[in-house]
Amino acid sequence: MLSFNALLAVSLGYVVMLFGIAFWAEHRANAGRLGWLRSPFVYTLSISVYCTAWTFYGAVGSAARNGLEFITIYLGPTLVFIGWWWLLRKLLRVGRAQRITSIADLISSRYGKSTTLAVLVTLLAVIGSTPYIALQLQSITLSFSVFAEDGGNANYTAFWVAAGLAVFTIVFGTRNVDANERHHGVVTAIAIEAIVKLLALLAVGIFVVWGFAGGLPEIFAMADENMLRTEKIFTSRWITLTFLSAAAIITLPRMFQVMVVENADEKHLATASWAFPGYLLLISLFVLPIAIAGNALMPAGANPDLYVLTVPLSQGRETLALLAFLGGFSSATSMVVIAAIALSTMVSNHIITPLWLSLSPSRTATSGDIRSVLLVSRRLSIAGILLLGYFYFRITGGSAALASIGLIAFAGTSQIMPSLLGGLFWRGATRSGALVGISAGFLVWAYTLFLPSFEGAFLLSDSLIENGPFGIAALRPYALFGLGDYDPLVHSMFWSMTINVFLFVTISLLSTPRPLERIQASQFVDVFRLNKDIGGYLVSRTATSEDLFTLAQRILGTNPAHRLFTDMASEQGKTSGLPDPTDDLVQRVERELAGSVGAASAHAMVSQIAGGGTVSVDELMKIADETAQIVEYSQQLENQSRRLEEAAHQLRHANTRLTELGAQKDAFLSQVSHELRTPMTSIRSFSEILRETDNIDSEQAQRFLGIIQEESQRLTRLLDEILDLSHLESGRGNLKVEDVNLGDVIERSINSTRGLIDESGVEIALNLPEKPIIVSASFDRLAQVFINLITNGIKYGRSKNPKITITARTVGKLAIVGIHDNGPGIPAKDFEKVFEKFSRLSESALAGSAGLGLPISREIMRNLDGNLTLEPSKNGAVFRVTLPLAKS
Amino acid sequence: MNNPKKPDLAQRAYRRKKIKDAALVLPLLGAFLLASPFITIFATDGYIFGLPLPFIYIFGVWLFLVIAARRMARLLSEP
Repeated sequence: MLSFNALLAVSLGYVVMLFGIAFWAEHRANAGRLGWLRSPFVYTLSISVYCTAWTFYGAVGSAARNGLEFITIYLGPTLVFIGWWWLLRKLLRVGRAQRITSIADLISSRYGKSTTLAVLVTLLAVIGSTPYIALQLQSITLSFSVFAEDGGNANYTAFWVAAGLAVFTIVFGTRNVDANERHHGVVTAIAIEAIVKLLALLAVGIFVVWGFAGGLPEIFAMADENMLRTEKIFTSRWITLTFLSAAAIITLPRMFQVMVVENADEKHLATASWAFPGYLLLISLFVLPIAIAGNALMPAGANPDLYVLTVPLSQGRETLALLAFLGGFSSATSMVVIAAIALSTMVSNHIITPLWLSLSPSRTATSGDIRSVLLVSRRLSIAGILLLGYFYFRITGGSAALASIGLIAFAGTSQIMPSLLGGLFWRGATRSGALVGISAGFLVWAYTLFLPSFEGAFLLSDSLIENGPFGIAALRPYALFGLGDYDPLVHSMFWSMTINVFLFVTISLLSTPRPLERIQASQFVDVFRLNKDIGGYLVSRTATSEDLFTLAQRILGTNPAHRLFTDMASEQGKTSGLPDPTDDLVQRVERELAGSVGAASAHAMVSQIAGGGTVSVDELMKIADETAQIVEYSQQLENQSRRLEEAAHQLRHANTRLTELGAQKDAFLSQVSHELRTPMTSIRSFSEILRETDNIDSEQAQRFLGIIQEESQRLTRLLDEILDLSHLESGRGNLKVEDVNLGDVIERSINSTRGLIDESGVEIALNLPEKPIIVSASFDRLAQVFINLITNGIKYGRSKNPKITITARTVGKLAIVGIHDNGPGIPAKDFEKVFEKFSRLSESALAGSAGLGLPISREIMRNLDGNLTLEPSKNGAVFRVTLPLAKS
Repeated sequence: MNNPKKPDLAQRAYRRKKIKDAALVLPLLGAFLLASPFITIFATDGYIFGLPLPFIYIFGVWLFLVIAARRMARLLSEP
């Protein structure tokens, strides 16, 4: 049997080796030769910090007691990892984009950089992790006691182990103030330890199966019936444990540390997604055989948690037992180191720094180096956390089985999960919801699981646990609201998760998030959609570059701050001096600081300098959700292009119309000149004859003068018509409207054109109703219209037996008069042309007409609130005159 | 046929989408096989090659999940 001192020497040697490896890795990394230090397998191995001493010793213990149930603790993480595309990938991306330093930082950052939430999650993590650290110390002292006959002093061992781990963690875990930077030394040492623990467990397993039993079937043949109780598989406890372990791998502070914070490359996750489940498979492969062998070999009452050590020892395999001891030692130490780093970051960033800031608000800007303060606070936190674990160990003194402590801790930290998942996938999750949900879940967990686990020794008395507070049975910790038939863990998980999720969702729905929360919400939920360059938000502040530089210098150190500001200056196009204090700069500084002190503290510090870090509604409008902006923008574009198209269409239309009008004007002018020229020519020639011919007889002179007079009358008429038309068109006709008998007007018109009618031999047919139609019109003007139409009919409606039919009727409040000739008619396409000035139809037009009759008639009718149109007809042209009836 | 590049690209995009869908389905399948009443079919007292059936089933499914996840990770990491 190994002596206690020999064992001590081996462990010390192992520790020295770890220090050496860590130191060497750190050295290599500093020299820039990262090489395999950054390989995805080192990353995967570091994740195996999930497998603690609890796995190493406790899983076998659990298998010895409950058979296959221990596997659930590995199935949860397996499912989470093979589903990395869903959750872990997003978690990693967010962690990277926001420079998240811990799980508390993540929750705080998501919910508007809330300090309260950060403190709450930190406290929760410390309360949940302390028993776990105590558990590791306990497992180390237990394993020591197995070897040492004299046992040694357990408390003494635990203390020195804790002290040694504190030194290791402080030396390699707080080298940089930037908690977001990788700890290559620690990670490499953890990876080596991961290999040691896997090899140790495999070695013991292989020995048990092939060295001791002689094969797998043989070892299972040894199993007593209790161990393979199949009805134990798939119970509510099976589901709860799978869920719990899945939640734990996401929410445990140390898991977040190795998975997100220490991650060097997102691509490594793809490898870890299968390699880590593979590791878990290997490490649990021989757990059941070892437990079976232990039960078979060990006397009743032996501690199943130590089978990994006692089974090889009982077979006289001391070297194997020593390897197993080192495996257990590795599992315990790696967990403690990582947990201490993760927790110290949280405690230092979320509790000590904010306290320090609030106690001395002026110091941020004026006092000396904040970095040393941060480092000291982080180192003190590490020592404090290990001390806390040690005291917990002293107080509980190894009362409960390893596995149950582990599960209780899992259940505590899993209360963060609803808020974490909600924060990553639900934009509507709010700070109040998270705060209330986590607190309530945590309280229910403490009341139904954590406090009763002390079995009456702490806060809750035995009788209270048995009978409920004040004897109220409905409030018994293990049977809340009478739900007593379940396993305490299932019972506690059921109530705490139900209440947690319910309050988180309800309060999120009821509360309104602050602006900063909304910004962070979209930064988290849409992390894959956001452009890298638009990572931040605009907050107008009054910071000067000097202040920001001083702050950055104090926290990041002189050189990194210098680099950061030089980079920013050159990005802004400046070759020397400090960059301008743009929003971009403020954000960058805040993000860099967040990497060291966490989002909430960084935000508080920068706000102190920049003055008023809150976002106003106006600013929020500016930043509005990116998607919303894009949607709005594209809608605007669409609207605009539609409007543009409409405008273009109208313009095209107007252009055609203008061209037509221009052509008409030209035609009109040439027509007018032509029309004026004909009478002018005859007037001129006849007056020249009269002047130049000396002896002209008076009869001829009389005839010539007659022609001249006639032509000048025609000229005057033409000019009158043009004037008249222009008056009517501009609405300045000023027609005198009175009640007029339509029949009288038509009769007068026929009489006026009697000469023309008789001359052309046109037959006029009148078709008027017996009752006189009284219309509201100007008698003379209306007669002018009819005269014009009749004349028109006579002129153009030429046929063998020309006939013009005039009909009149009333429709509603309108009178309608149709003037129908039996001539060749007018093609429908020319209907509008007819009413254009000087547009005599075709070439058959009679000379002497200026072609203004119809346009004038139409203008008159329109001025009389009526209209003049052409009607489609099979034979001849049909003009229709509409006009209003008299009101009386 | 006239333009061999076009269908190839479309097919690749389609294939990639299928792979992503499969990556989302895999954990659900795992949960169904290992943490649903389905598992009770194999939680019997039988033995195969001297090994208890539940042991074989759970580790078999587990191994399958690891291999499938590895294949999936390869496919997802393709450009």
